Amino acid sequence: MTPRKIVITSGKGGVGKTTTTANLGATLAKRGKRVILIDADIGLRNLDLVLGLEKRIVFDLVEVAEGRCQLRQALIKDKRFESLSILPAAQTREKDAITTEQFSAIVDLAATQADYVLIDCPAGIEHGFRNAVAGASEAIVVTTPEVSAIRDADRVVGKIAQDRKPIRLIVNRLRPEMVRSGDMLSVDDVCDVLSIELLGVVPDDEEVIDTTNRGEPIVLNDASRLKTIYDKIARRLEGEMVPFTSFDGTSLFGRLLDALKVG
Amino acid sequence: MHQTQAVEHETEAAAPARRLGRAIVLTSGKGGVGKTTTTANLGTALASRGVKVVLVDADVGLRNLDILLGLESRVKHHLLDVLEERATLDDALVPSKHGDTLYLLAAAQSREKDDVETEKMKALIETLRERFDYVLIDCPAGIELGFKNAVAGADEAIVVCTPEVSAVRDVDRVVGLLGNRFRPQLVINRLRPALVRKGKMLSVEDVNAILRLPLLGVIADEPDIIVTTNRGEPLALRRENPTGAAYHAIAARVAGEDVPAPMPPLSKPSFMERVSSFLGGKRA
Repeated sequence: MTPRKIVITSGKGGVGKTTTTANLGATLAKRGKRVILIDADIGLRNLDLVLGLEKRIVFDLVEVAEGRCQLRQALIKDKRFESLSILPAAQTREKDAITTEQFSAIVDLAATQADYVLIDCPAGIEHGFRNAVAGASEAIVVTTPEVSAIRDADRVVGKIAQDRKPIRLIVNRLRPEMVRSGDMLSVDDVCDVLSIELLGVVPDDEEVIDTTNRGEPIVLNDASRLKTIYDKIARRLEGEMVPFTSFDGTSLFGRLLDALKVG
Repeated sequence: MHQTQAVEHETEAAAPARRLGRAIVLTSGKGGVGKTTTTANLGTALASRGVKVVLVDADVGLRNLDILLGLESRVKHHLLDVLEERATLDDALVPSKHGDTLYLLAAAQSREKDDVETEKMKALIETLRERFDYVLIDCPAGIELGFKNAVAGADEAIVVCTPEVSAVRDVDRVVGLLGNRFRPQLVINRLRPALVRKGKMLSVEDVNAILRLPLLGVIADEPDIIVTTNRGEPLALRRENPTGAAYHAIAARVAGEDVPAPMPPLSKPSFMERVSSFLGGKRA
């Protein structure tokens, strides 16, 4: 297959770009794909922490760009998976330490060794964002069902659409009970505003906080309902038609079933 | 009409020998930890004390402070209009719907951060300090030019951090970049006491064992925050709400009052918490 170069972006920070990158990457790797994750957040890297690989960093993205090491020397293989590696960002450098051309060249090089290259974009729409987007041939926009996050996502969609790259949407941290009480925007509301193809809906799950702190992506937990959800997202990304899990109209009984992991 | 009001307040407030207001940047490194929410609520709480407060949205291109204050349809001119002299400050200052001493200076939405000249930004903050008791600057996420511009005119910093390893790491980096000039103070945001008790979230002590910053206060994770954010009504308008009250305590501490740092109760799980944890760890 032609390797796919996908940037994961949002505009607003803290909506779950890094968590999505780690979990989607891990899921794709479990499905037998060769996956390279690139942390483009130079100066504020976190993908290494979310995957628990921070102690194994030797070289970083900027050192590869500057030709001080080979890409393969900088890639950290995640031993929990057959075929998942990350290229960490530099922590003590600035975003302009690397040019758009250098970044794109690294993504292209990574794509010669992988089926999927996922690029974890920094928050904002400055130089770091422009680099991360320039290297990709398609985009996943992550947003939460909040007015401010959606406004920022809309701005980013507008910027990426200029380059005619395919854009898909993940609605993250949905709280179905708040949607039902009218206190949170629904997935339909979000899709109406952004008008891009929906790739997945991920419910808010407090386990993510804990697994992130421990450096274990939640998809490693077979009992987690998010594992099923990321699996569906990965299958949709691969072109399968997969029905969406409904979060609407869940009764108290439904929540009990959910709690018992039957759902 | 609002503009005349602003001018009147100016003359009133100028009566006692006027010193420069305080310019405080709210920053974090990581996005989505609550900088804008903290800015809106702290500003609302400070203004309710009768002092003049202006909130400056420095997130050019991705502004949100106007939404949180419910002022998005009242913004006519923005920060760049003022910096590029297409509008006067009085044209651009949007009076709050709540309290007559609170104003917003919105960011430009369809421009880029590199359109802002750092020196002009510094001069603008200086002008605002002559007119307001508090200038709160809502910094964009990241540490690029937008961050540098937001920080340039400030003389104090409040760093906002959630109890997460990644947020703590980013704050630590930002504190390093700020250097000694700012004496940064810490707000820990979105603490979930039930998770801390279960050992599944960093505690206040865990966070500050790493950061070692003076603590202004701790805010609990509250679904109310999402609701009030979507509605454009800061929770600090509701003093009877524990989170609203916590913002007033933080404001009192910022103002120099000797009140304890607000802290959500960690002691014992409520009945509802026990029921909801049985239902799958969801919050009641």
